[in-house]
Formats: sequence, structure tokens, C-alpha cells
Amino acid sequence: MIKSIAHVTVYVLNQEQALDFYKNKLGFEIGDDMTIEGGFRWLTVYPKSQPKLQLVLAEPKEGPMFTKDASEKIRSLIEDGAFGVGVFETDDCQKTYDELVAKGVEFTQAPTEQLYGVEAMGKDNSGNWFSLVQQAK
Amino acid sequence: MTTNYQFKRLCAGRDYIADNYLDPFSLSRAAKSSHMSQYHFSRVFKKLYGETPNEFLIRLRIEKAKKMLITENLSVSEICERVGYISLGSFSSLFLKQVGMPPTLYRRTLWALSSETFHFPSQIIPACYAYHFLGKSAN
Repeated sequence: MIKSIAHVTVYVLNQEQALDFYKNKLGFEIGDDMTIEGGFRWLTVYPKSQPKLQLVLAEPKEGPMFTKDASEKIRSLIEDGAFGVGVFETDDCQKTYDELVAKGVEFTQAPTEQLYGVEAMGKDNSGNWFSLVQQAK
Repeated sequence: MTTNYQFKRLCAGRDYIADNYLDPFSLSRAAKSSHMSQYHFSRVFKKLYGETPNEFLIRLRIEKAKKMLITENLSVSEICERVGYISLGSFSSLFLKQVGMPPTLYRRTLWALSSETFHFPSQIIPACYAYHFLGKSAN
């Protein structure tokens, strides 16, 4: 039986800039930040209250996984907002939204009542969208 | 259930520990940063993070030591001091408990696995990532 999810990959345009966003804007913590042989930077972040779910911030560079063409296409798709990080939960969507807006986080939808709670939609500094959801009680 | 307000206060205490990891551990100062009593701080901290404030500090120091052991050409004694421990014995014992091997063996093992000086070997990350990003197979 699968117990939990430990790592989820988030493709970003620039690891250093993504780290600044997730750490200094969203308030995540650094899990790992180390340079592996071959020059690959293994960089993970996690929400402070959920240290066992690490987001792997990876650049889609040309290499074993991507050809140059594929890498450029992926980067273009990231910028176009084709990919999503997922749903971040909060106890107070409006308050968290206000705090993040004050920090310069870009939102495409202000907090809105939904059947399942209150939801705002934003983008990270690569272009990946995310939802900010306050679950209905 | 931890409220948003309580979570923020707790984070302040956790940040205090992380920001002052070189100093001797002070539960009272960490709790004070969270505006909580020591007992309440420890209890909610453990409940939310799954580790006590002291366990968090030890893990943080050991993680920093692991990185220094691979990327820096410092002696184990120097690294011990640079992560906030005075006693090499205590540091080595905690390292062994957390990592499963003594600091020197950890360094020797990982350095031997890596093809580049002061870089972590690909075996340190999940093999699927090593395979996809570095073209390295586990076999």
C-alpha cells in the first residue's frame, strides 16, 4: 500500500528565482539544496507544516530527459501557464491572499466562493498556476 | 487543529530556533518567540511537526553538517563547531543516530561514490531523478 507522497516535481524556469518565490513569498522552507555530480542542483522546498511533502524545483534543461527542442517547448509551456503546482490549503483564504498580494504574488483570481470553500488562483514566478483554497467547514 | 494564528506564532518559534541554531538550545526563548508557555509550545510543536523543538534543532544541525562534510574540506571537529556543538563526542553520537554512520565514514562513503570533488553522488537522490536528469541508472 502506498503510504504518502514524498516528492512532487515542479518545473521552473530558473531555480534561484523559484527558490526566492517559494521561500520568501510563499514562506516555504528549503528541504535539500545540493549540487550533485554532473552539476545537477537538487533543490526541494516544503510548506512549513508539511515537511514530508517536498516540491522538487527542477529546470527542464537539455540532457538525458529532454532534447534541446523539448526543453525549449517545456519552458515555453511553463511561461504560458500550461502547468499547475496544485492546491495550497489555508485556514483563511482572504487573509492569506492579502498577505501574498502585499508580497507581490500575482493572482489571476481573487478569493471567490465555491461549492467546496473559498478559492483564489495565483501564479508562481515561472508561470505555474496554483490554487489557494480554504475548505468549507 | 492548529489555527492560522497559532500556526503563525509556532512558526515564529521555529524560525527562532533555525536562526539561532549555533547557540545553545533555549526552549524558553523559542517559546517566548511564539508567545507560548514552554510546555504548550513543545506540545503543539510536536503535534504539528512530528518532532520536538530539540529534535528539530538536532536534525537541522546534522543536515548542515552532512552538507559541509561533502562540500567543504574541513575537519570533522571544525564542522562540529560550525554547526553549534562544543563536544565532538556528542556531535558524533547524534550524527550516528540520525544518519546511521559516523561523520567520517559518511564523508568517505559519499566522496568515494561521487565522480566530482565536493559534489554529492547521484545515489543521494531518488534514482528516478538521477536517471532522468543525469542519465544515471541505479544498476
